[in-house]
Amino acid sequence: MKMLLRFLTILLFAMPAYATEEALQFENETQRQLYQQLTAELRCPQCQNQNIADSNAVVSVDMRQKTYDMIKQGGNRDDVLDYMINRYGNFVHYQPPLNRYTLLLWLAPLLMLLALVALQLKRRRQQADEFSTDAAAEAASGQSGSAKLDAELDQLIEQYRSKK
Amino acid sequence: MRKLMFYVPLVLFLTLALFLLSGLFSNPMERESVTTNKPLPAFSLPDLMQPAKRWQPEQLHGETFLLNVWGTWCPTCNAELSYMTELKQQGVKIIGLYYVLPVDPLLGESFDLALLQADVSNKLQQRGNPYQFNILDADRSLSLDLGVSGAPETFIVDSNGIVREHHIGDINPQVWRNKLAPLYQKWRQQDGTE
Repeated sequence: MKMLLRFLTILLFAMPAYATEEALQFENETQRQLYQQLTAELRCPQCQNQNIADSNAVVSVDMRQKTYDMIKQGGNRDDVLDYMINRYGNFVHYQPPLNRYTLLLWLAPLLMLLALVALQLKRRRQQADEFSTDAAAEAASGQSGSAKLDAELDQLIEQYRSKK
Repeated sequence: MRKLMFYVPLVLFLTLALFLLSGLFSNPMERESVTTNKPLPAFSLPDLMQPAKRWQPEQLHGETFLLNVWGTWCPTCNAELSYMTELKQQGVKIIGLYYVLPVDPLLGESFDLALLQADVSNKLQQRGNPYQFNILDADRSLSLDLGVSGAPETFIVDSNGIVREHHIGDINPQVWRNKLAPLYQKWRQQDGTE
């Protein structure tokens, strides 16, 4: 039992790992990190919704190789991204740029937030209105709300008693 | 006010339903190619059958042609060979770009050109040979430059060596009639001008 619990606890700490990493040699840690970052950010054009780090499609293998070659030759992040986007389009990068085609995509969360705030404000105002109209009606009848309720309650009790 | 509150969710729901419905019939593999309307990328690659001969983009100028990315390992490519052979008989110029797999089921990890040539000849004899010639893209560098994501894919390249269309998937009578033939005719008619 204890063993099982221990095993399950260890499972809780399991982390996802990209499976198709080859043993690659880099000159320094920055290059390695850049490579890992880029292959995680670039999207496989063949097997959609996988990044190229995670995919073993031929085109992903080639794109990884190209990324590696470019980094080894001193290319930076933008060089690699430009190269890929020039061939496979914005589709290939998981961070779409902000332009007129993607404007809605980027603004949608903000618009939703604004809509929610507007709705909430409107509700509050309505509630405040209802409250103030109630208060006005009471003031006009010259009776406070609780006094009116007390009278109704008395009446009900009276009815109940007389039935008995 | 009440009425409005009733219609708002209804309209929202209908919009969402229509949006999702349209998603059911869309093809996620279809997207605009960014390598069209640009010249063929620079390359110097050997001929598949006569490796001593090398092909450069300038040698392909002069006539609108189809550049067909294929390999004998790809069943869909083999299936389109016979229809493309019919197209060739109708006068369509088709050039093959042979896409070699990193680990080929036929060749394994080592690349054996003689074995590949024999396999290709065999296949073309069986199914028909639509190609004027085949360019061997052994490391898939030209394919990567053209934005190829797999095989089969076909490009229409005009007489000035500008890529005019990038078709992902096979060529069959329907695709040819509805999509590629009009474009091919259009660029074919402009051959020799400019």
